[in-house]
Amino acid sequence: MTLIQPIVWLGLFGQAFNIGALLPPQTVPMFFSGAPDYFSFMAIGMLAVNALFTCMFSGMSIVWDRRFGFLNKLKVAPIPRGVVPISRILATVVRSTIQVSIVLVIALAFQYIPGLTGLTLKEGFGIVDLAGMFAVLFLLSTAFASLFTTIALAVENQETLFGVINLLNLPLMFASAALFPTAMMPDWLRAVADYNPLTWAADAMRQFAFIDTIPIHSLAFDVLGLLAVAILLMGASVVVSRKLLSNR
Amino acid sequence: MSAIVAVENLVKRFSEDVLAVDNISFTVDEGEVFGFLGPNGAGKSTTINMLTTLLKPTSGKAIVAGFDLAHQQDEVRKVIGLVPQDLTVDDELSGRENMYLQADLYGVDRDRARRDIEDLLHVVNLEEAADRRVKTYSGGMRKRLELAEGLIHHPRILFLDEPTLGLDIQTRVAIWDYIKDLKAKHNITVFLTTHYLEEADGLCDRIAIIDRGKIVALDTPTALKRSVGGDVIDLIVDGTADFSEAIRQADGVLDVKREDMAYRIKAVKGEGSIPKVLQAVSSQGGNVTSVSLSRPSLDQAFLEYTGRSMRDAEQSGGFDRAAAARASKRRR
Repeated sequence: MTLIQPIVWLGLFGQAFNIGALLPPQTVPMFFSGAPDYFSFMAIGMLAVNALFTCMFSGMSIVWDRRFGFLNKLKVAPIPRGVVPISRILATVVRSTIQVSIVLVIALAFQYIPGLTGLTLKEGFGIVDLAGMFAVLFLLSTAFASLFTTIALAVENQETLFGVINLLNLPLMFASAALFPTAMMPDWLRAVADYNPLTWAADAMRQFAFIDTIPIHSLAFDVLGLLAVAILLMGASVVVSRKLLSNR
Repeated sequence: MSAIVAVENLVKRFSEDVLAVDNISFTVDEGEVFGFLGPNGAGKSTTINMLTTLLKPTSGKAIVAGFDLAHQQDEVRKVIGLVPQDLTVDDELSGRENMYLQADLYGVDRDRARRDIEDLLHVVNLEEAADRRVKTYSGGMRKRLELAEGLIHHPRILFLDEPTLGLDIQTRVAIWDYIKDLKAKHNITVFLTTHYLEEADGLCDRIAIIDRGKIVALDTPTALKRSVGGDVIDLIVDGTADFSEAIRQADGVLDVKREDMAYRIKAVKGEGSIPKVLQAVSSQGGNVTSVSLSRPSLDQAFLEYTGRSMRDAEQSGGFDRAAAARASKRRR
């Protein structure tokens, strides 16, 4: 399921909302952070969005662990409480990396399908750039996996949990540079979007993927920001688990 | 025998009006099979959850294998095994993989785990299915796997929460055999909860009858049944002569009631008293045409102590209280 969604998005949203066509051709890369067309721009953002969704589903699987009693099995085991969220987070990061790799391959493959625009990377895109992109995705996934795991641990009522997740998810996705350049947003929204970790990840990955990018932040700012958020949220998951996975 | 579990004035209150466990005290001796018998919602699972570090007691004290439940939870966790009421084995993994997962959770080293897993799978008769995904297992097989998992770290006490709930009778009997085996071979202490009378009767060395959060009786199954009034021997003797007095003199006979040719005799130990009663009657020239022995059931004992039969208890308050307790737990 988490795979079908990005394909549909890439295929429909990415192709249909080709807002680049409204612009004079030579100004397109300026608007889209150096990307040669809107699809290439949003495909990179879609990698980050896909990481967000994968982390949401995977992090929330703790809900089922609780429901089926598996969480109790972990709770009676003589393991430090923090191991439970951390292993959940690591598993989620692995899953997210695999998912994102598949989306990347699909976006690139679109080039070879007649009538579709595909993801066009900069000339001379190399292994270092690829590694850089995945490093960014790793940090982003760690941050989001920690976020959703912590929330799923803390909110025991399922209905409330789904409400909270929905409330977070859509604003995170849309108030970001992932699918839409923040430069085109109203000031207040832009102020928020520029400090959304999803923006940092998309912004950083575009600096690896395209030439002549017009970055929102420096690469160092994006990466350090993501690192800080990842560490903070992972720490929060351990603190929360100590309290919530002990006997009450 | 020394006590391996000692519980003193244990209380669990979920909310203002839900008192799940109401000031219970008991000890479990090392090596015995100790049963908590009671209807659903009596407080059995709540007690087991407290003793296995899943729930924090509202008040009271409990020592498990020498460790204080309030301060030494990790030590307690290392020496106990819990086979929960829910089936928690992973569907997507094979039986053997599930066992390895459990071994890792308890820090059992790989070499030892490999050996022990083979042994345990053999004990619960899952050797052939060990490499199949658990998805393909029946309910009974899952429960057996769960039981084997609970033993991977050689716990000193095994907690079984309703070990045979929802299983068919053959599987239930098989599980009982495994539990008896364990006790015989490994001298492991077993603490189990059940609402099946025959399970408590056939399996446990001692039973605590728990109702509405309180322990109302605690003794061996035999003693509990005897306290209700011993065995009953029904006798039919030809003729009109009265043999009551002769029967009363026989060893172990507590009481005799006569109704025409039928005698209802209460005896301490029925099977031992029958020959003596028969002898007494025939020595007086009586001709016994029929004899039958009935033992008091645990259900009678339950009735005696709680004022209601097990079935009534299930149907009345019990269920609602359990549901209420669970609902309040969810809300928190």
